[in-house]
Parts: sequence; structure tokens; C-alpha cells
Amino acid sequence: MKKNLLFLPVLMFAFTSAANAHGPVRQKADEEITINAPAAKVWGIIKDYGDMSWLPAVKNTTVDKGNEIGSIRVLTLQDGGTITEELKKYDADKMAYGYKITEMSTAKTITHAGNEEKVPVLPVDNYTANIGVEAKGDTSVVTWKGAYYRAYTNNNPPAEMNEDAANKAVADVFKAGLANLKTLAEK
Amino acid sequence: MLRLKRIPVTLAVVTVLGCGASVAAPFAYISNQLDDSVSIIDAEKRTVIDTVKLAGKPAGIAVAPAGDKVYVSTPEAHGFSVLDTKSHSVLNKVIVSEGALGIAVDHEGQRIYVADWYNNTVSVVSAKTLEVTKVVTVGESPSGLIVSPDNRWLYVANRGSDSVSKVSTETLTVKKTTTVGKHPFGIITTQSGDRLYTANVESDDVTVLDTASMQPIASIKVGILPYAVTLALNDSRLLVTNQTDNTVSVIDTETFKQIAVIEVGEKPEGISTHPDDRHVYVANWFDSTVSVLDAKTLTVVDTIKAGEGTRAFGQFFSK
Repeated sequence: MKKNLLFLPVLMFAFTSAANAHGPVRQKADEEITINAPAAKVWGIIKDYGDMSWLPAVKNTTVDKGNEIGSIRVLTLQDGGTITEELKKYDADKMAYGYKITEMSTAKTITHAGNEEKVPVLPVDNYTANIGVEAKGDTSVVTWKGAYYRAYTNNNPPAEMNEDAANKAVADVFKAGLANLKTLAEK
Repeated sequence: MLRLKRIPVTLAVVTVLGCGASVAAPFAYISNQLDDSVSIIDAEKRTVIDTVKLAGKPAGIAVAPAGDKVYVSTPEAHGFSVLDTKSHSVLNKVIVSEGALGIAVDHEGQRIYVADWYNNTVSVVSAKTLEVTKVVTVGESPSGLIVSPDNRWLYVANRGSDSVSKVSTETLTVKKTTTVGKHPFGIITTQSGDRLYTANVESDDVTVLDTASMQPIASIKVGILPYAVTLALNDSRLLVTNQTDNTVSVIDTETFKQIAVIEVGEKPEGISTHPDDRHVYVANWFDSTVSVLDAKTLTVVDTIKAGEGTRAFGQFFSK
């Protein structure tokens, strides 16, 4: 009974607002790749926050204020799902930017502990990330870092919304993105 | 020269230890949440001297005034662990409640206060018996806790209610609750206890409260997602970790102006002041490091590698 009462407000916030959950433990993803191309070329591919065509999972991207802080982009995935993100930091000199997820569509609905749970397309909550390029002579190193919580903000998560699911999903996106970026930049 | 200087120091330490007195000072206790461990940093040498395994995703830290024990909140173990600072072993695991996070100890070392994220309560635990003696209902998702220097009040940051509660440690009831900025998390009081500062995660600012009246005096803009606060140089400088900016804001507490922004590691969280009142340690969660800042020169003077996911939420120095 007690659990159900706690549960409602948590769910209401889960996909809309950030920074609401400190019960679960924050997780991290940290991937990097060395690309045999100059940093300027690599940065040229990713520098437009509103252009995520280099990320294989994304079908198209819309953006409202370009590379301005606060700019909102909506990623439409190959399967039709959407992820809305807000630009938090942008530093052209450092060839880096940071963003957070503000909203996501539901990938599927499951039943857990007698309740319906909406699993977001990326099974995470309160997600922030940054990506940057660093010159290493004629080559470059791209680092993509994310910090987030599992999608289920209450205790005892279902398998689809636990830490393993979150970590795997984010790592898969980062790895696929960086591998494709390497392919594009080394062409 | 250096060698000559060192000999007497070493002798003195050995003598003290031999007498069974408390361990020579000061140490920083850093919770490594993703590693399930606590790094013990010798703040003289600025090196990790030991890493103690401690299950339950350790987060909050409170050091007993005598320096003999450290209380480490373990949210996934629903309580806290008691770490012995001499043997570096876990003496007890105490189950308190489902979402134990913020933790503080009173200045007499008699009580441990544990905030519960889910239940909107603060549990009062006897340091002697390690039993919960009272549960105080506060605002939503209480997080940061601090005991006033005179031991009469416990202040609680109610993150979900955007407020701070002032709890009488005598009656263990809420005397007053005041609205601050959005989502207050870490809090600190001055040495005299006249003021309280809150880091407001969602409104990117710090609220300054007059503790007697519990009225806000000022609101100061800082960086993005401020997490925790500490004071240095006789309370003249307030230092704030900005999680998303990877910086620490330094505020002049006379003028309430930000006078410096110091770059630290990624996702800075816990922050505490060395007993010398000048150096400030910052746990960088993403980098798993601790930055050592000099509040006087406003620079980073050292970076110490700790365990995965350094969190160190609370007062983590032994005196």
C-alpha cells in the first residue's frame, strides 16, 4: 500500500522532469575511439547539434535554436521512437558539447509488481551526456560520456528498467555512434 | 633538510599511536559509490592510504567528532555502516530505512541522523546502541543534513519540497520550515551557526538563510546543477560544486558575489573543508578523483585518484 502511494508521483515525473531520483544509484558510460583523421574534420561531422545523421539509430533530427544553449533537438529513431534533448553546454574551441534528455517516447509497456510500466526508448532517467574531440597529432580521440539513472525510479526494478538494461542501452548507442563516426571521418 | 625535518614527525606519530590515542590527523573519507568502497585519504600526504570495501552503494559520509568512527550511508543496504578509523574495518551495518542517503552526526557524538529519500523522514540513531530512537517527519525527499554548532538544531534540506526544516534536537520536532530555491541538496552552516547555505540543484543558485529567523537573506546564482556547499577561510568564502559545469563556484560571503569559478573534474559532487580551513576537497563523481583546492589562491593544487563514482556527500573530514 505504502509503495503504491510512493509510486504515483515518481512515475509522473519520470519521463518529463530531470533530477528527481536519488534513490537508485547513478550510472555512467564512458566510451572513446581513436580516429585516423584530423580533429577539425571529425568535429565538422558532429559540431551541428541539430544534425545527428552520423548516429545510426537516428532517422532524422529537428532543432529549434541551432547551437545556442537551451536549444531543443528531437531525435526520431529508425523505429519511430523519439528522444528530446536540451543543449546545456557548447564550446567550439574545445570541440565539445553537453546535453540532457528532457523527454522520451515509450518503447513498450510492461507489467511489474502489478503496475503498468512504460519503458522509454532509452531505458534511463535523468540522463546527461557530453561528447568532445581532442587532437592527437594528425589523428583524433573522440570521447562520449553519459551519466544517468536506471529508468525505474522506485525500488526493485524490472529487468527491462534496471541498471544493466540502462548501461547496455547507452553503451550500445555510444559504441555504434563512435564506430560510424570513425567510418565517416576516415573516408 | 627535508629528511632531518621528517624524523621528529615520524617519531611523534609512532609515539601517539603507541599510546593508543586517536589517530593523527586529518583524513578525508571518500565514498566510491560504484565500487562499493571508501577511500581513506591522508590529507597531509594527499594520498589514498587505504580503500575499504563497504557494500550497499555508499554515498553519505559523517565523521564522529572524536574521529574514531565514520558513518557511511548505504542506500542499497537501507541504512549505514560504521567504519573504524583505526583498524579500517566495518564494525557494524545498521538497517535504518529504505532510502537512507543524507547522514550527519551531532557534535557530542551521541546521535546519528539519517535522512530517508523515500519516506520523507529523518531517523535519529543512538551512536551507542545503534538503534533508531525516533523518526521525525520532514519535507519530501530530505537529503542534506547539518547540525548547528551549538548542537541545538538539525537542519534538513527537503529536496522535493524546495525547503529547509529546522528541527529541535531537544524535542525532535520541526520548529520551522522555510522555502528556498528549487531542489536544495547540500547544506552548510557558519561556525557560529548564524547562517545556513543551500545548494539548489534545479534553480542553479544558493540560498542564504538567517538561521534565527529562518528568513532568506540572499539568493546567489552559481553554475549548472549545484550539488553541495562548504565554507573556508573563517566563513568568508563559500564553495559550491556545479555538477554539469565541472566547476566550483567561489562566493564572497560579505558581498554575496561570485569571485571565482574553478575548473575541477567531471561531475563534482561532495565537498568538504580541510580542518586547516583553507584547503577544500571535491569528489569528482565521473572522474573518480578528488580535487584539492586552495581557497586562498583559488586554484587546484592537487588531484587524487580514488575509486569509481566518488560521491562523498556530507562532512567527510576527520579533525
